[in-house]
Amino acid sequence: MNIEAKLGLDVFKIDTEPHIIIHHEICQAKCQIRFCLNICPAELYTLGKQGEVQVNYEGCLECGACLIACGHQALAWHYPRAGHGVQYRFG
Amino acid sequence: MEKVEFVVVGAGLSGLAAAMVLAEAGAEVLVVERGDYPGSKNVTGGRLYLGPIRAYLPDLWEDAPLERRVVKERLTMIAPKSSITVELSSERFRQPPYPSYTLLHATFDRWFADQAMKRGALVIPGYKVDDLIMKDGRVAGIVSSGDEIRANAVVAADGALSFMAEKAGLRKPHVAKNYAVAAKEIIELPPQVIEDRFGLENDEGAAQLFFGSLTQGVHGGGFLYTNRESLSIGLVFALQDLMDKSNSKSSEELPSLSPNGLLETFKNRSEIRPLIADGHSVEYSAHIIPEGGFRAIPRLVTDGMLVVGDAAGFTLNMGVTVRGMDFALASGVMAARALLRAREQADFSSSGLSYYETLLKESFIWEDLKTFQHMPDFLANPRLYERYPSMACDLLEQLMWIGEGSKEKFSTTLVRTIRQSLLRVGVLKDLFMIRKI
Amino acid sequence: MNIIVCMKQVIDLEQIRIKPNTREPVIEGLPLLFGDFEKCALEEAIRIKEVHGGKVTALAVGSPKLRDTIKEALAMGADEAIILIDPIFQDSDAMGSARVLARTIEKVGEYDLILLGDSSADEYSGEIPPRIAELLNLPQVGFVREIEVVADNDQMSEPKKIRVARDMEDSLEVIEVDLPAVIGVTSELNTPRLAPLSAILKASRKPMHEWRSDDIGVTAEEVGARASVVEMLSNLAPIQDRKGIIYQDVEEGVIEVIKALQQEGVLTQ
Repeated sequence: MNIEAKLGLDVFKIDTEPHIIIHHEICQAKCQIRFCLNICPAELYTLGKQGEVQVNYEGCLECGACLIACGHQALAWHYPRAGHGVQYRFG
Repeated sequence: MEKVEFVVVGAGLSGLAAAMVLAEAGAEVLVVERGDYPGSKNVTGGRLYLGPIRAYLPDLWEDAPLERRVVKERLTMIAPKSSITVELSSERFRQPPYPSYTLLHATFDRWFADQAMKRGALVIPGYKVDDLIMKDGRVAGIVSSGDEIRANAVVAADGALSFMAEKAGLRKPHVAKNYAVAAKEIIELPPQVIEDRFGLENDEGAAQLFFGSLTQGVHGGGFLYTNRESLSIGLVFALQDLMDKSNSKSSEELPSLSPNGLLETFKNRSEIRPLIADGHSVEYSAHIIPEGGFRAIPRLVTDGMLVVGDAAGFTLNMGVTVRGMDFALASGVMAARALLRAREQADFSSSGLSYYETLLKESFIWEDLKTFQHMPDFLANPRLYERYPSMACDLLEQLMWIGEGSKEKFSTTLVRTIRQSLLRVGVLKDLFMIRKI
Repeated sequence: MNIIVCMKQVIDLEQIRIKPNTREPVIEGLPLLFGDFEKCALEEAIRIKEVHGGKVTALAVGSPKLRDTIKEALAMGADEAIILIDPIFQDSDAMGSARVLARTIEKVGEYDLILLGDSSADEYSGEIPPRIAELLNLPQVGFVREIEVVADNDQMSEPKKIRVARDMEDSLEVIEVDLPAVIGVTSELNTPRLAPLSAILKASRKPMHEWRSDDIGVTAEEVGARASVVEMLSNLAPIQDRKGIIYQDVEEGVIEVIKALQQEGVLTQ
């Protein structure tokens, strides 16, 4: 089962405002390793054509692993606004 | 400006337990939850140990929407192409009071919130606490979308990431070595099928933990719990180790080391495949777990605020058992008791609230966390995930394998295994380490 | 102006999932909330009150969970709430529900305007507004997306008319109606406000009345399952036939998808 199908199982109330913002100037200047690409359980982080890190905040499971793993403070990460984000049916 | 006696941030187990005890004593308590309903942002592996908490929350459990009482414990060592499972089935598990149950947060927490509300707590989902009101250096309330609510004291029950504890200056920024990340899937199956596959009778459940090569050398493990009509299956990884290991692999291998990639590989193993066959996946979730143990506990009390549950780092991975929800419930109760005493004395300063720490230090939470404080070091040993499971599985396989030709003496196989795998400095160090846990 | 807003708590539709083997929707135990339609009706009532004065009463029939749900209506700005909770109301058809609402409105007595969602988000029958109007012998307008209170020349007296625009898809029909009237609104009417957290706290101090069947003089013969003349035979998700073709290459994929849609007659050549 691929990750898109798995995220398709969950209820997401998608906010129009992203709750994860990448500070590209920090990300590109300081981070070589880019842990975010590997550790995200929802696999939301990808590399763009210019090698920049991109994130699809819409499928975020709100674990916060990326926030902790990003040692360069290149992520502005907060919980989505109330009424938004993943709403687990089972948990 | 509105004012209440107490605000609890987060309607999880610790926050609701605190609210329930406060409300029962007649205090005015508001629980603010950012999810659409209590439990909507919460994830558990799936098991609650009731033994330690019946004394804290008696008379609560009869109608609780628990899934199955666990009567069967399995521990599985996983090698690349083999595994050994130890199964403990005990009559003690089958007699009331039952020691542990599997559960699902979204169901349980909504019910638990209803119980708190019946006792007078006001639980309001759909609102996020963005900030704390700080007044003269003390916490004086909360801010939600610019709207301020004042309170005598705030309970930070906002989970493993606890931004509240950070805002109040109780916790330093998160460091990866203190956290684990978990990915979990819920797979629906008819109750009868679950009972047949795990050898259970009505309402009985099984819990199975896995360690070994399923995490590809990353410090962590797997879990499988039986719910009434579903299985909870997932993997847990020490975050720092996952970061280090994924970094050292070549880029072609990267996808396979992602939490979900490894979970898929795990589900496809012959040990798991028949257990989940014909099931329908109904949810995929992820969460972080504070696994720093005793040494990573933040400051728990400040003027006008207490920290409870996951926010306080109260979880314990002992390898053969993983706990957190019992600590969350008990710490919530203790926080409420401390707040009630502070209320009598009208002193919500950190010294007025320090009774919380006194209660904690006398409780099983502190005792257990302290007793097992070396567990994180022990579990960080890479040999636990690669060499030992492989060695044990290979040895048993050699002893049990009957192929063409003749079999060598058991003692020859044993001696060879010991010579090849166990006569090493690292192994002696590990034996020495066992004394500490 | 005294406005009564009828509100229905519905299940959170985004939470519904379909059982893969039986195609049945899983509805039991889902969280309940007010849908967009009822929130728009309430929002409009509050806006009218803010300009013309008077009182807004939120009225709802439903399960005991309503005691929590209704707080949102009070927090948004309703002055008072009446909730009707009684096992005999369960499994009412639209006629039964309309009867409960109409009897309650009669008991409240003083009203100039009754606002409600044109349909409910869950069942979408659209029967309630006209049925209430019939039972109360009032004028009724549906599909309303704009409401304007027509002020009398004499500023001091209460408004006696409203002008509403009905959404006819291709056109807007503007109608003037004498008050009191029943107005069924669409979600285009406005954007409902989000009540701040402090308003939810204040809401617990506003008057909330809980009535049962005998408070409004309704018997089990008139409402609920026994009085229902509508029987639901089945409620299943449609069978989906998916081809399961995945194109890795976008350019090629687009061409193939267009070709397939043309073959199916969805797109014209």
